[in-house]
Amino acid sequence: MLDSRPDNCRQIRLPIPILKNSDLEKLRRIDQPGLKAVTLPILFHPQHGKDSLEQALDELCQAADSAIENGATLLILSDRDVNAERAAIPALLAASGLHHHLIRAGSRTRVGLVLESGEPREVHHFCVLLGYGVQAINPYMAYECLNDMIGEGLLTGVAYHDAVSGYIKAAVKGIVKVMSKMGISTIKSYCGAQIFEAIGLVRELVDRYFTRTPSRVGGIGLAELAQEASQQHARAFTTIPVRGQTLEVYGQYQFRKDGELHLFNPRTIHLLQKACRINDYAVFKEYTRLIDDQSERLATLRGLLELKPAATPLPLEEVEPVEAITTRFKTGAMSYGSISQEAHESLAIAMNRIGGKSNTGEGGEDITRYTPDPNGDSRNSAIKQVASGRFGVTSEYLTQAREIQIKMAQGAKPGEGGELPGRKVYPWIAKVRLSTPGVGLISPPPHHDIYSIEDLAQLIHDLKNANTEARISVKLVSEVGVGTIAAGVAKGHADVVLISGHDGGTGASPQTSIKHAGLPWELGLAETHQTLILNNLRSRIAVETDGQLKTGRDVVVAALLGAEEFGFATAALVSLGCIMMRVCHLDTCPVGVATQNPALRKQFMGDPAYAVNFMQFVAQEIREYMARLGFRTMNDMIGRTDKVEARRAIAHWKAKGLDYTAILHRPQVGPEIGRYCQIGQNHGIERSLDKQALLDLARPALERQEKVSATLPIQNVNRVAGTILGSEVTRRYGREGLPEDTIHFHFQGSAGQSFGAFVPPGMTLELEGDANDYFAKGLSGGKVILYPPTGSTFPAEENIIVGNVAFYGATNGEAYIRGMAGERFCVRNSGVRAVIEGVGDHGCEYMTGGRVVVLGETGRNFAAGMSGGIAYVLDANATFDNQCNLETVSLDRLNEGDLQDVRAMLQKHVQYTHSTQARQILDDWETRALEFVKVMPKDYQRMLDAISRAEGSGLAGDEAIMAAFEANKNDATRVSGN
Amino acid sequence: MGKPTGFMEYERELPADRSPVERVGDWKEFHQHFSESKLQEQGGRCMDCGIPFCHTGTLISGMASGCPINNLIPEWNDLVYRGLWREALERLHKTNNFPEFTGRVCPAPCEGSCVLGITNPPVTIKNIECSIVDRGFTEGWVVPRPPEKRTGKKVAVVGSGPAGLSCAAQLNKAGHTVMVYERADRIGGLLMYGIPNMKLAKTIVQRRVDLMAQEGITFVTKTAIGSDIPAPQLQEDFDAIVLCGGATKPRDLPADGRALNGIHFAMEFLHANTKSLLDSDHADGAYISATDKNVIVIGGGDTGTDCVGTALRHKCKTLTQFEILPQPPLERQPDNPWPEWPKILRVDYGQEEAEARFGADPRIYLIQTERFVGDTHGNVKELHTVEIEWGKNETGAFIPKSLPGTEKVWPADLVLLAMGFLGPEDPVLEQLGVERDPRSNAKAEYGRFQTNVDGVFAAGDMRRGQSLVVWAFNEGRGAAREVDRYLMGSTELP
Repeated sequence: MLDSRPDNCRQIRLPIPILKNSDLEKLRRIDQPGLKAVTLPILFHPQHGKDSLEQALDELCQAADSAIENGATLLILSDRDVNAERAAIPALLAASGLHHHLIRAGSRTRVGLVLESGEPREVHHFCVLLGYGVQAINPYMAYECLNDMIGEGLLTGVAYHDAVSGYIKAAVKGIVKVMSKMGISTIKSYCGAQIFEAIGLVRELVDRYFTRTPSRVGGIGLAELAQEASQQHARAFTTIPVRGQTLEVYGQYQFRKDGELHLFNPRTIHLLQKACRINDYAVFKEYTRLIDDQSERLATLRGLLELKPAATPLPLEEVEPVEAITTRFKTGAMSYGSISQEAHESLAIAMNRIGGKSNTGEGGEDITRYTPDPNGDSRNSAIKQVASGRFGVTSEYLTQAREIQIKMAQGAKPGEGGELPGRKVYPWIAKVRLSTPGVGLISPPPHHDIYSIEDLAQLIHDLKNANTEARISVKLVSEVGVGTIAAGVAKGHADVVLISGHDGGTGASPQTSIKHAGLPWELGLAETHQTLILNNLRSRIAVETDGQLKTGRDVVVAALLGAEEFGFATAALVSLGCIMMRVCHLDTCPVGVATQNPALRKQFMGDPAYAVNFMQFVAQEIREYMARLGFRTMNDMIGRTDKVEARRAIAHWKAKGLDYTAILHRPQVGPEIGRYCQIGQNHGIERSLDKQALLDLARPALERQEKVSATLPIQNVNRVAGTILGSEVTRRYGREGLPEDTIHFHFQGSAGQSFGAFVPPGMTLELEGDANDYFAKGLSGGKVILYPPTGSTFPAEENIIVGNVAFYGATNGEAYIRGMAGERFCVRNSGVRAVIEGVGDHGCEYMTGGRVVVLGETGRNFAAGMSGGIAYVLDANATFDNQCNLETVSLDRLNEGDLQDVRAMLQKHVQYTHSTQARQILDDWETRALEFVKVMPKDYQRMLDAISRAEGSGLAGDEAIMAAFEANKNDATRVSGN
Repeated sequence: MGKPTGFMEYERELPADRSPVERVGDWKEFHQHFSESKLQEQGGRCMDCGIPFCHTGTLISGMASGCPINNLIPEWNDLVYRGLWREALERLHKTNNFPEFTGRVCPAPCEGSCVLGITNPPVTIKNIECSIVDRGFTEGWVVPRPPEKRTGKKVAVVGSGPAGLSCAAQLNKAGHTVMVYERADRIGGLLMYGIPNMKLAKTIVQRRVDLMAQEGITFVTKTAIGSDIPAPQLQEDFDAIVLCGGATKPRDLPADGRALNGIHFAMEFLHANTKSLLDSDHADGAYISATDKNVIVIGGGDTGTDCVGTALRHKCKTLTQFEILPQPPLERQPDNPWPEWPKILRVDYGQEEAEARFGADPRIYLIQTERFVGDTHGNVKELHTVEIEWGKNETGAFIPKSLPGTEKVWPADLVLLAMGFLGPEDPVLEQLGVERDPRSNAKAEYGRFQTNVDGVFAAGDMRRGQSLVVWAFNEGRGAAREVDRYLMGSTELP
């Protein structure tokens, strides 16, 4: 083994893990010294059920052992020989069972595992098989289906082999997408990584065949798996076929009568809409009865729980009123962009009427909504979301919040960022997102300023500074281990943590995320609540949950499991007219909910009153349960899992192995440990430079718009300098802020993190020294200037003066930095005009607006995903094209306008920072100007061209933009957003 | 969903019917077919909803919403859009044994619940259904498909209406030997003799019956169970019996003068007319003629409309149709929202023809017949009516109240009573000892269809009371499934 000899490293290299039939046959027939393939059947006798299945699995393991003994290096598991007597062992069970057997036997690394099966067909199937140790898969039935579809004319214009290639390409892309969601970049790392949690498998089965997979609620075992496989098999081999030649429709994604149960179905949608429209609680109760009664058809974990009524119920009057309960209600984070203005504003108005909170979602908010309507309604969303894209996150946006939510992940699509296809980025959406109409917007999966829990704590602190009155909330996804993360979030001083369940989300989630991604909130919530209690953190953070909360009972179960606040999204939209078309990504929503198309938006028939009715009905139903359970207030109810038990009378044949002990566990702690949020977090705001000095210094400016200026020392313990002051400016003077340079502070020293974050117009922060990470993140119109201390001897342009992630998510303002920046400079910039003398890797990534001038070298991957704004890079050595990611941008020469623009920026740069680099360039402008390269996003260019064409045809302003948008909308050559 | 934006691009369009003036001159069907390209466009309007209400028949306030037999409407709309007619036919036949019937006579609760209908005119589902199956017949795709094996079990189906036929077809598919008994001389029940030829051509009914016979089903006509054959005899001869005898007892109008000549139940009129048409093209004169008569049809439902259409083809002198309920609104009311069956004013073929012939819709609303008055020969001469309004009695039930001073006399030579049906006839049920529900229907739980008598099942109007053809299909298919389970221990039938 330890000698490097050729026969010690005989391996077959596969470019991708999905095999064509011909690839598989090549492997099967491989005839080389040291390489030998053996095919093992994975079949059992269905009429003998569990016994036969277990025996077949044992025999498979034995056969594999002896094959390895005899020199096999490749095991091909095959269910090709299915016939009337023999059924296929579920492929995952066979493969994972063998994989773990070989690990236990110590022989796993001696063989490759290949699966030849008719079962796998979806991306999820492939991923789970790979995750449980299969190295290559031949999904032959999928290919047969393609052949059949071509024969029947269902697939046209494609030959069989091309169809197979296309299918494989799509499957592999899907696998890569899933891997990327999990943060894994190579198939080698993914294979056998087993990053799954099982729901509904009994412990013994998991221990033996899916060893070390978390499985927290028990469930079915081999007997049930055998029975299910036998039922499937029997359908294929009936004595008298009665269903013709067509296949059944199982209604996984789209409801079908005899398919999968969907809790939102024609009956329940109709009843909910009717109840909310005519304000009839009795109709609402009919709706909840249909949702809650899962005694025969199981759909949710909570459906398997039973509430234990108190011995003596309370009179309903003694229970806290509807109004007290609805303040705990929120609507889900659905962006203006994903849903229409009408739907978005209806939710905001409704939640403001009942004292609850609506959520902007990612993507900013129209400023007109900050002014109350004449009738007293407010369209201002109480919760402003801050997601990885930072779209429209300005100082004004943040100061208008009652709660600021950091979206770490999304229950409906964990590991992914939001995606708004270009055809939905209408001009009015682009305006609030500070981006270009018609250009698709992709939120990166991670926040570029969060790589650790400390970074998250920093962002929490930054946002608290940006609005000291707002609660800071962190949105997490229900998954195993979320409790630990939630504890970190609590220690990072978040005021609220949201545990989001897996089945929320609009229909726009990618298909690979609709199912099998994320977990029910019941699991994550129980874990979070228990972990927080055990660490005595529960009393200083509020716990919220969401994910298909539909009825009062759902909320009661959530409260008993440990939540005190509750989010509704789908149900609220349904009350406003959503009929679950699942075309949210196509911009064709026929009821005007999830569309921006003006013609379709006219068809919106919702009214805030309907959503108000929904929320009040839910609260009323909660009160009825509270009376029955003996609780006067919601706070009394939180975490009282002793009031829940597993439902005894469940008719379903698969339900008997379920075990809820882990979910219903109640940590035994003393009365001194709070079980709901009672204590505020200490955010350390008082220690900030702003509170200590800046606010006082700036008082004349704040109160009378008088110019102020001062010179102060600064140290790296002074984090987020200027942000509280900035929020005060915004509160008093709105988006426009103060006249330029009204407040001018000159700091000397080393600034702490997030210097100048979210600073608005009228503030100029001049820093003589150097700066840490997150410099001027979210800059909202202010001016920041940074240069080395006077008298320093090093060449500024060759030294890093500012840390990573400067100007992340900045929306407006000016910046002049004499020196180089670290990595991720100006990521997601949407409006700042910045001059810098060199940047690290990933500069200008995902940028959608603004101008960036780089007077020196860049790191690699410059301009990745950039879709707006322009960067000008001084490319003295003509090496820039190697550093730039050219996927979405082109490199051009500067035109006359560009040259004027750059020159003016450089002149200011010299004026503010005394940059020698810039001065030299200006001194030799005619020559040096030629060294600049213009980085122009292709989509942005296309849109500008379309606008100028529209203007050429006599249109102007918004009309020209709209015409350009329409012309561009269905352009198949668009780079992003498809 | 071939075309996500189809519903925004194409308007709802139906092929024009033959002109009313032309079609009242014959007994041929009045619907016509669309061109293939038009049908593709109309199929392209389907939005392939996440939750296709059209496909999921339920009862809301007693009215059907969505397709009671769960036709896979989004699928075949898409297939039609893509021009895959044969696959569309396969999909259609998967849930519906006889789409050529529903495609013609169903009131289309699917369209009432079509999601597009929230804001726009719904997809032309019924027309597309009819086009798919008619094309299937034209192309020769609809061929007998006898079962591959026989189980050796024998099942008797009593009644050959829509419930009986769909039940027989499904049982036969499962390999049982099926015998269908019909007391009339032709198979089809209401499909044959209830619905007139212009709405559902009898050649189309017979075509399907012939196919079923070729698949191995035995049809026995002119044989009334309960009289020609005592019902208990079937228990001896068969392993199971399905009762699909319909709800054939008509509601009467017990007013003075009811016994006069010229006052008939609608079914007598329609049955005789179709039989004479088929037997002799009306040459035998064995029908109730409306020619040159003042005709009054009492009842505003589908049967009433069929009487109107038939009387017009007889060239009646005048024609009036009474409806006791108020005129429905032109648009949905707030208490009747989508996806409920839209309670709106509809102009069916009969009214359209009457309007073409006499210049006005023949319907009079909120009117009640007080008495019939005859001439010296005992023939009806006139009807005396009064207008009514609806109020509530002390128990809260709606009752009509006569409005004094609104009495009116109508000349009438022929009066047709189309006021619905009360329930099944008694002999078979009594002979077998089948329990009845409070409305006198055979008592059998929906979904199980098993009566209190072992091996005896009931389906269709006989179990449920008068209803739509498509509910009869639903029940016939369901009863077949339960019979199969009863006979074999398990079933694969849907």
